[in-house]
Amino acid sequence: MATLLEVKDLRTEFHTQDGVVHAVNGVSFAVDEGETLGLVGESGCGKSVSVLSVMRLIPIPPGKIAGGQVLFQGRDLLAVDDEEIRSVRGNKIAMVFQDPMTSLNPVLTIGTQISEALELHLGMTKEQARKRSVELLKMVGIPEAENRLDDYPHQFSGGMRQRVMIAMALSCSPQLLIADEPTTALDVTIQAQIVDIVKRLKRELGMAVIWITHDLGVIAGLADRINVMYAGFVIESASNKEIFANPVHPYTLGLLGSIPRLDEAHKAKLTPIEGLPPDLIEMPKGCPFYDRCRFRAERCASENPPLELAGVRHWVACWNWQDVQKKRGPVGVR
Amino acid sequence: MPDSQDKLLEVNNLTKYFPITQGIIFQRKVADVKAVDGLSFFIRKGETLGLVGESGCGKSTTGRTILQLYRPTAGEVFFQGKNLAKMQSEELRKMRRNMQMIFQDPYASLNPRMTVGDIIGEPLEVHHIAKGKEKKERVQELLQIVGLNPYFVNRYPHEFSGGQRQRIGVARALAVNPAFIVCDEPISALDVSIQAQIINLLEELQQKFNLTYLFIAHDLSVVRHISDRVAVMYLGKIVELTDRTSLYKSPLHPYTKALLSAVPIPDPVVEEKRERIILVGDVPSPVNPPSGCRFHTRCPLAIDICKKMDPEFRDVGNLHFVACHVV
Amino acid sequence: MQLAGRIARNPPALLGALVILMVALMAIFAPALAPYAYDQQNLNAARQAPSPAHWLGTDDLGRDMLSRVIWGARSAVFVIVMVTIIDLALGLPLGAAAGYWGGWVDTLIMRVVDVLFAFPGLLFVFLVAATLKPGILNWAKAIGLNDLVRSGYLDYAVVIIALGGVGWGGLARMVRGQVLMLKEREFVIGARALGVPTWRVIARHILPNAITPIIVALSMGMGDIALSEGYLSFLGIGLQPPAPSWGNILADNAGRYWRTFPQMIWLVFIPGLVLAAVVFAFNFFGDGLNEALNPEIE
Repeated sequence: MATLLEVKDLRTEFHTQDGVVHAVNGVSFAVDEGETLGLVGESGCGKSVSVLSVMRLIPIPPGKIAGGQVLFQGRDLLAVDDEEIRSVRGNKIAMVFQDPMTSLNPVLTIGTQISEALELHLGMTKEQARKRSVELLKMVGIPEAENRLDDYPHQFSGGMRQRVMIAMALSCSPQLLIADEPTTALDVTIQAQIVDIVKRLKRELGMAVIWITHDLGVIAGLADRINVMYAGFVIESASNKEIFANPVHPYTLGLLGSIPRLDEAHKAKLTPIEGLPPDLIEMPKGCPFYDRCRFRAERCASENPPLELAGVRHWVACWNWQDVQKKRGPVGVR
Repeated sequence: MPDSQDKLLEVNNLTKYFPITQGIIFQRKVADVKAVDGLSFFIRKGETLGLVGESGCGKSTTGRTILQLYRPTAGEVFFQGKNLAKMQSEELRKMRRNMQMIFQDPYASLNPRMTVGDIIGEPLEVHHIAKGKEKKERVQELLQIVGLNPYFVNRYPHEFSGGQRQRIGVARALAVNPAFIVCDEPISALDVSIQAQIINLLEELQQKFNLTYLFIAHDLSVVRHISDRVAVMYLGKIVELTDRTSLYKSPLHPYTKALLSAVPIPDPVVEEKRERIILVGDVPSPVNPPSGCRFHTRCPLAIDICKKMDPEFRDVGNLHFVACHVV
Repeated sequence: MQLAGRIARNPPALLGALVILMVALMAIFAPALAPYAYDQQNLNAARQAPSPAHWLGTDDLGRDMLSRVIWGARSAVFVIVMVTIIDLALGLPLGAAAGYWGGWVDTLIMRVVDVLFAFPGLLFVFLVAATLKPGILNWAKAIGLNDLVRSGYLDYAVVIIALGGVGWGGLARMVRGQVLMLKEREFVIGARALGVPTWRVIARHILPNAITPIIVALSMGMGDIALSEGYLSFLGIGLQPPAPSWGNILADNAGRYWRTFPQMIWLVFIPGLVLAAVVFAFNFFGDGLNEALNPEIE
């Protein structure tokens, strides 16, 4: 399948009073047409900053995109002018954020807000836009869509607001939908509804999705490929099944050992990752995971491992991944 | 059946309504938020009871009402044989030595103007357990117990990460050697890799000090992992309560089933085969809850009687409690 | 210290701090600093323009203006400190009680505060001062304290009681708001769960976290107190001459002969300027303090 978005060696930093925060440190990934890519990691790992950099939505200053390329349909989005990036944003690439309340304008009706993009990007008339808005709301499963167009955001529940956000994101039939922790603020039954809707829409509309999350459970049911991020680096990248069946980076392994599974048979002990992530202002010279790693060797302290091939389309940034694979023990249900 | 000696805590018909008032000088009540509505359950010594439910179901209010941080509207809370709901404030204050709480937000639950030593030492002081040098030694010992460097006593909370702060919160709760701890979403605000650290810590401490936990969380996987028995709450009521195995293997209440099916499992092979029960709509408002069974508006199995009659919370065998007409 | 550094980087705040410091020093060392006694008259040297002997000139009775301004600082600072103490003594516990307990306690206290706020601020102070004054004077005379009456110290009491009695409402309202917000914070609930006694919850967990806005409000309030004292004394219900107050210096000089000798501009200009400078200083300093203590607000 054709590559839709290719990010090459992206670097983003923030210049703060305390020093330069190295948020994204040379991240590369690609999304094919119709593919779902999961960006997984904990807070501060650079997953959100990466995609905000792709959309050029980083506040400058203090932020700064220090290097790299973002090729979308062959064009480098980091090199185009503001006018052009605006025509891409919300049109060809749409975004859904974590907090559906702050992303909606509280003083405008839902209908006005959806229609706005339609009138602006697609040049629709008021009536056309209204008709299309109803269709969109129906698509994301909002009951009595015609009557709800004139409601204000506060009249919707959290889950319903997130549906509205998705409807707005879909309004211009984007080729790529970026979802930044869209279900983190929602309850688990509502999360299931939203995941269900996105999966269905993806199938129907054939768009590509980048889904950012810290929740390995959610991504397991959604993604085609998964990139695991840590301290501003992609440290492991493989297909969904491969990541869960054959994780070879100690951090990925640690994440999987840290989460209790609903289907666990016995009350087995979790194996947490000890310690804390590194300070992004004073980045360690070697592997960023060195301090917390069970498999570390001398070399890891001084040299940061690059991504290397560990299997079919499976990349890992670890000097000792073969050792990890041998010693890790069984993966999966305990 | 366990005899009453086994039970550390027994709750009967626990109810907490928050009045909604109007008016400035003459405040009159216009409605109630029925946050907790007639809960009955017990917790045995040394056991962990998990309390799980979605936001607004009243699980945190339950924890706080048990500890009398909110005084119950009705019902009894027997702790070590005494009814907390009837206690006067000074007697209750002294009772707090035996029952403690760990909070959700490690950033909000520590006083930013106090040092770690003062935070952990305060309960020792107010309950006249230790002071001066003895207090300091005990604080350092507690820091060590929760896996922190004892030299941290003079630091302020903002100098610590979320996980470390949560350890400070745990040390504060442990300081008075309590028998019972309410853990109110103690890991929800933490990163995945840190969550496991805290879960393990809580499990170790339970073994070491023979603690009894009420573990409140919205994440069913975590609750099932740490608990011996689990209570599922929906809109102010417990709909099902049973041990961790039968909750997963043989859930009875349709809400429990939907909740179980909605929890994602970090395994694509398993996820592919799972059937989800997608509930329609949202949780109704606790100000004006549905008549009869509160779940009937979203229940796939609802029949006529569910709209009219509140189902009884009954034991269907082996202490498996459920409140449903259809089961 | 970080705080001092932040204020030093803020020119108006720094200027305010320097002015406040100067006034404070003037108040403390008035006897040593003032070249003459504040009430020393010299009719041969009346109405002189500024000169090496009298830097700020002299007034109608030949009193040295510089000395009166310096002693005036002592009056102003004394009133500011006493009124602030009353504001704190009433506003802090009442505001905290209203916020913490709520219910009828809150209703009662806040309705009293509403009454205080219902009148235009200074008007109410005038009313209180004007009605208090004869009462206090008569009472003092009745119990034989004629010397005290003559000394003029009772005038200070009237000003302080009037300003303090009316002024605590604002602080109480602010403290209440802070307490309302803080008492729902988890660390406060946590303290209660630990079994910390209520008074200690308020004193150790709630108030220390409300200290920033309280300090800022007090700092701004001090400027208002100085101004109000000036007004009262200007209108003759505050401090009486010969007791030195910037307000009554202004009134004296303006009323008695500025109309006759309008070229002697310094006579009104100097006390007015000093008063204005102090009011601005407290406001600038309070603003700077607010920014320094809340670095996230821009």
